[in-house]
Amino acid sequence: MSSLEKRAWLALWSMCPVYCVYFAIQIGFPNLLPTMLERIGCLAVVASIHAVAYVSGLLMIKRREAGEPFLEDERDRAIDGRATRMAYFVLITGMIVVGVVMPFNNSGWKLVNTALLGIVLAETVRYALILIGYRRPRLAH
Amino acid sequence: MSNEVRLLRFLAQDMTQAELGKRVGLTRQTIAAIEQGRYSPSLDVAFRIAHLFGKRVDEVFHWQPGGAEGNVAANSDAG
Repeated sequence: MSSLEKRAWLALWSMCPVYCVYFAIQIGFPNLLPTMLERIGCLAVVASIHAVAYVSGLLMIKRREAGEPFLEDERDRAIDGRATRMAYFVLITGMIVVGVVMPFNNSGWKLVNTALLGIVLAETVRYALILIGYRRPRLAH
Repeated sequence: MSNEVRLLRFLAQDMTQAELGKRVGLTRQTIAAIEQGRYSPSLDVAFRIAHLFGKRVDEVFHWQPGGAEGNVAANSDAG
């Protein structure tokens, strides 16, 4: 498994579960965190868990890769480039929804959470397309 | 696009994928993908591989019409 593929798996596994729980709480139990401070705290906890899981996984990968001559080559860059390009469209769609459409009817945490959802979706699409690019190159082209 | 990389590696004293990758600046995984026909290398890498085995590019890589659309896209991205 290539270095970029390992990082993509790590990013997906560290990000998806924690943000799934976060959005499930936000959508399923909107009154669970009534105050602004509690909501900020919840977001901070989720972001911290994500960061700790990702950084610790990254350190483990780096330790195992020590001494390998080439970690990334033209194929990795091509796969990453295509995935990033597709994820950009997801992100820009999310930002248009949040910045152009939603302000007419919504405000506050709904905007914050939708923006966060757009970012998480874009990242998920990027890493998923990287993994697809390694396994089924024709689908990613 | 098919190629003779695996055969040439075998003929070059059973050179490993990692060793070939190291000598042409690719990862072992990319050499494996090239051998399996899952990735078409850039022209630069194709020349480097051919030069390493003392062959011409067309002796190592064989292009077949009608199946290269994806590879063309991959190579244009790889720059």
